[in-house]
Amino acid sequence: MAKYIIRRLLWVIVLLFFVSLITFVIFYLLPSADPATLRAGRQPNPAVVAQIRHNLGLDKPWYTQYFNYMKALVLHFNFGYSYTNNVNVRTLIFDRLPATISLTVGAAILFLVLGIGVGTISAVRRRSKFDRAAMGTALVAISAPVYWLGLLALFVFAKDIGKVPIFPGASSYVPISQSPTQWFTSLLLPWIVLAASFAAIYARLLRANLIEVMSEDYIRTARAKGLSERRVIYHHGIRSAITPIVTAAGLDIGVLLGGAILTETVFNIPGIGRLAYDSILAGDLPMIQGTVLLGAFFIVIMNLVVDVAYAFIDPRVRYS
Amino acid sequence: MRKYLRSLPLLATAVASIVIAGCGGSSSSSSSSSSSSSTSSAAAKNGGAVTVLDVAGGVDSLDPGYWYYQTDYTELYQPTQRALYGFTPQATSPVPDLATSQPILSNGGKTLTFHIRPGVHYSAPLASRTVAAADIKYAMERCFAANVGNGYAFTYFNNIVGAPTKPTTTVPTVSGITAPNASTLVIKTTVPVGVLTVPNALALPCTVPIPQDYAANFDKGAQSTYGMHQVFTGPYMISGAGTGTVPSSGYQTGKLLALVRNPSWVKSTDPIRPAHFDTITFKGGNDITVASQQILSGQSMMSGDFAAPPAAVLKQGLTTSQKSQFQIAPSGGNRYIALNTTVKPLDNVNFRRAIAAVINRNALRLTRGGPAIGTVATHFIPPQMPGFEQAGGTAGNPADDFYANPNGNLALAESYMKKAGYPSGQYTGAPLLTIADNSQPASNTAQAVQSQLGQIGIKLTFREVPHATMLTKYCEVPKAAVAICPTVGWGKDFFDSQSMITPVFYGPNIVPSGNTNMAQVNVPALNTQMQAAEQLTDPSARASAWANLDKEITSQVYVVTWLWDNEVGFHSTNVNGVQWPFNGNDWDLTASSLK
Repeated sequence: MAKYIIRRLLWVIVLLFFVSLITFVIFYLLPSADPATLRAGRQPNPAVVAQIRHNLGLDKPWYTQYFNYMKALVLHFNFGYSYTNNVNVRTLIFDRLPATISLTVGAAILFLVLGIGVGTISAVRRRSKFDRAAMGTALVAISAPVYWLGLLALFVFAKDIGKVPIFPGASSYVPISQSPTQWFTSLLLPWIVLAASFAAIYARLLRANLIEVMSEDYIRTARAKGLSERRVIYHHGIRSAITPIVTAAGLDIGVLLGGAILTETVFNIPGIGRLAYDSILAGDLPMIQGTVLLGAFFIVIMNLVVDVAYAFIDPRVRYS
Repeated sequence: MRKYLRSLPLLATAVASIVIAGCGGSSSSSSSSSSSSSTSSAAAKNGGAVTVLDVAGGVDSLDPGYWYYQTDYTELYQPTQRALYGFTPQATSPVPDLATSQPILSNGGKTLTFHIRPGVHYSAPLASRTVAAADIKYAMERCFAANVGNGYAFTYFNNIVGAPTKPTTTVPTVSGITAPNASTLVIKTTVPVGVLTVPNALALPCTVPIPQDYAANFDKGAQSTYGMHQVFTGPYMISGAGTGTVPSSGYQTGKLLALVRNPSWVKSTDPIRPAHFDTITFKGGNDITVASQQILSGQSMMSGDFAAPPAAVLKQGLTTSQKSQFQIAPSGGNRYIALNTTVKPLDNVNFRRAIAAVINRNALRLTRGGPAIGTVATHFIPPQMPGFEQAGGTAGNPADDFYANPNGNLALAESYMKKAGYPSGQYTGAPLLTIADNSQPASNTAQAVQSQLGQIGIKLTFREVPHATMLTKYCEVPKAAVAICPTVGWGKDFFDSQSMITPVFYGPNIVPSGNTNMAQVNVPALNTQMQAAEQLTDPSARASAWANLDKEITSQVYVVTWLWDNEVGFHSTNVNGVQWPFNGNDWDLTASSLK
């Protein structure tokens, strides 16, 4: 197992290298904003633009620029400088990361608990009123765009602009280090909104898997051996049915750690997603590069976590 | 996205199309309206805290030498720093701020002498120190340094004796700026410079004093860090910055900017800023719809770095009791369609006039929101600017028949097409490369232009790209040979029409990148006229000269100017918002107050 993890971690490095290269080349070759001209003011003379281009290293060939970027990244963990925000990329990313982690972890707990819980009950009580209501609600939650759901939630439940003011509204996020209570209450509504569609997807997925698994021969054998229904469901049914959920959840959490753009935007949570969105609009290549690398890092790491988790969930899976 | 291009002060932030059907959407003569007093401070109350909600990233930089854009001026320049000259909400010409009077001119207007107001203190850690002439000299000189990144020094200060011609790696010494003693500053120029003798350009933040001995350390290296360590002269300072470093509790990029009172500021020394609020907090990263609702339904909040609320919010606001929370006034900017005169057949004036005639400016205005967002333009210089009336006022010049009908005139357009060599009145040539902004509402405008040009047979190779890409890779790059840029505009730097006309139409301004003369107008007679106008030192003579240039430019239709923009500000019911005409009628937060 250890060898497998080390091998996968080495592949992570290779993958991140290619992600950075592709991002760099895409933004270099495709039409994107010229940072030197943007920085030169609105009536720049050619000397000003040339000087800024030289200062930023933009007058060098793309491969030299890329080499310099990677050198700074590998040797000094330096992601470059954002000339749009006038700040180090690393500083800004690490400044924004806690908010994204807070949002993702809370939402993940919520959608896993809800999704697995509802999916299991629906599968066990197939065609019951609960099942019908839960699956109907899930369909609505899947269909509702997060941005719309967020706005709706704010206009209904936010303390400042809502009709039924219960939860703190947009812009109320505070870091956990500042006030754990405020942190928790400020994220309640975003967690619910972000978790809604994921929970709905997982509930439907688990329900379908579990129904299929519960009709397998080994489940009948377990029952024939006299195991309690609870033990059959939890130890034999769910354990087998949950593997696709683990795969999906791992990737989803990885993606969300790379930034939940819409949720962060609606609720004004200063996270990575909002940062990436603003950077793309502004053509801020160093910041885009930093957020893309971070997103890729989370996705491959979560992929690895999922693969390792398989070994514990499914006894048939063994890595050597 | 922030207002990072002052040349397009509203484009970057007006993220929603504002269709105000209830405001007489097809009216052609709507003038901008102010729903409540924009300058009155009769109800002003001292004290209290206000929160300003930003959606587009807030300020660009903390460094006064870098500030050039609308949000920088509103959120940092006016509240936290003082310059040689400034503008009150009522002023349309510079008011002495750190200077004690208007410049004393000698040597045919080529030597300007300023006396510095005594008793103006810096904030901690230099609280015991007062502003000296040498501090302003250093501040102006550092604007030429590459690591400061100033955007206008080479435009307005280039005729100062000894001024560098390109950015320097270190802060240069400019021989034409001297400080013979602590209270006297002398600037010598090679020719009379109208924007210095009427000191409009000296009201820009390059004259915010910066003590050399304190700042020099921060001005070393590839990027100056003075902004993070600055000392303040205005009524407010960034919270916690008295230690000499701006802490994260006072500023976080794109998230937070917290201003508190500057204990070193003495009200009696400041003729410009009443400074009513105790604290001003800017919160960034908001969603425009949510922020707009929070401001209108909440307390002690004001709109930040965005031009207007979304369509539905604005429509509801202007037709209900919320109307008194809106303040609408001309921004001092315009929107136009740039026609590249080096691309055939746009080199033909009759072809360009045909385009002007067929364009339905009312319809284009509706794509951005209708009358509330501006007045249909009839020439280039916008309202409230010197020369506006002489250039034709709101009605425009009667000789420009192609602008007579704001809804467009197809018959007239076809007649111009015939004069341009198209006997059928319809264009028969190759498609014209057109690059437009892909964000709302600009993309709606571009699509409307495409449709309208189709009426006279003009086909376009039409591409929509992000705003910054549109400018820096296409419309501002002559080599890209873009024929039509339908979603561009220009805003004033101050109340002098030189800042409107010269950047957009002066031939020598055509440069390989960052070219603001998108029409690539290079007419020797016009160039000479502009050079002469720049050297005029009498304000009324300057106004007339720039108005005459506007008439000529409008007649030749190098661009089709279709809108004079409004700034739509709004605030909570308990706020008395005061707009600041100098800065495109964005808020003057030192004159605004709680009720």
